[in-house]
Amino acid sequence: MKSVVLQHLKDNKSLYIEEWRKSLEQHEFTKQGSTFSSKDMQQEMKDEFISVVFQSIELSSEENRDAVHRFANRLIYNGWAFSEFIRSLQALRRVVLHNVSANFTKEEFVDVSVEFEDWLDEQITRLAEEFSKIQNEVMTMQKTAMKELSAPLIPVFDKISVMPIVGTIDTKRAAQIMENLLEGIIEHRAQVVLIDITGVPVVDTMVAHHIIKASEAVRLVGAECLLVGIRPEIAQTIVNLGIDLDAFTTKSTLKKGIEAALELTNRTIETSEQMQSNGGLKR
Amino acid sequence: MRIPILKLGRYLLISVQVELDDQTALQFQEDLLNKIHQEGSLGVVIDLTSVDMIDSFIAKVIGDVVEMSNLMGAKVVLTGIQPAVAITLIDMGVSLQEVQTALDLEQGLERLQQELGG
Repeated sequence: MKSVVLQHLKDNKSLYIEEWRKSLEQHEFTKQGSTFSSKDMQQEMKDEFISVVFQSIELSSEENRDAVHRFANRLIYNGWAFSEFIRSLQALRRVVLHNVSANFTKEEFVDVSVEFEDWLDEQITRLAEEFSKIQNEVMTMQKTAMKELSAPLIPVFDKISVMPIVGTIDTKRAAQIMENLLEGIIEHRAQVVLIDITGVPVVDTMVAHHIIKASEAVRLVGAECLLVGIRPEIAQTIVNLGIDLDAFTTKSTLKKGIEAALELTNRTIETSEQMQSNGGLKR
Repeated sequence: MRIPILKLGRYLLISVQVELDDQTALQFQEDLLNKIHQEGSLGVVIDLTSVDMIDSFIAKVIGDVVEMSNLMGAKVVLTGIQPAVAITLIDMGVSLQEVQTALDLEQGLERLQQELGG
């Protein structure tokens, strides 16, 4: 073993595990975003954490890294709050230093505690490193997922497609929207696209600029763009900001937009009574 | 390099299959106007499906051609502009505001027919 303190920890492993577990008892491990965490789950998590930490004394640094990585993985996917684990390592520090001061002489104590602090810092750093690494991975995955979800073009009728936009529009997303819009038009052979901004919380000059750009590009590839889902407050902002949407056909709801789009492609929706009074099917 | 201009009834069809350079574009402008004059065409469809890139000069020439043709009484429809081309044009600030567009040749012809009243 590398040092006195680790040897000491190893020799008195069961004692420390016992003491540490006791000190953790007042400790609540919480889960992010959920209030539910049963006592059993908490205990299981604590035990696993304890074993991971004590294993690290015996394992090579490579193996230890793997173990910590696996542990951090479970932490994140199960949504445990990370700060609790740091705090419980600090609890270990108190427990160990308390015992060490009883077992070593004053002269030894300084060296031993320095060694121990080094070791503990290493553990904390490693846990934090692995944790943030995995969190970054999760974030990258979520970003990809967001991108996939960000701007679907849905064909609703022959020659008519709808693009519902939910959430704020930034430059990056605007480019994505534009790309999906144009590719989709070609793919579905759409003549009219409805851009539904019901889910866009704020329309400022920049967002409007992006939408205008998109609609001009849509016109260039040979389709027409209708802007639907304009809420009263959006209408107010647009006028107050002096944004010129004259080139646009705008409708308040998707429903009205679809009616207008059908009209543009020479179709209407009729009830069956209307159809009968018109003398059956027109086609 | 000359771009072939095909006559189809009262219309002219142009499918641009080559990289448009400045010289070709200007030559095309001249050829098309002469052809409109010669045939007395009412409509023109310019299909850009196989054009991957348009620079600002070419965009200007295309805008000019459309305006000139309109002056000579021929309606022009641009068809098959690729998404990438559309994005480039918009980014350059060229929106070809006055130009009619359609998704493909078929819809372009339909459009002309509508505009000219069958």
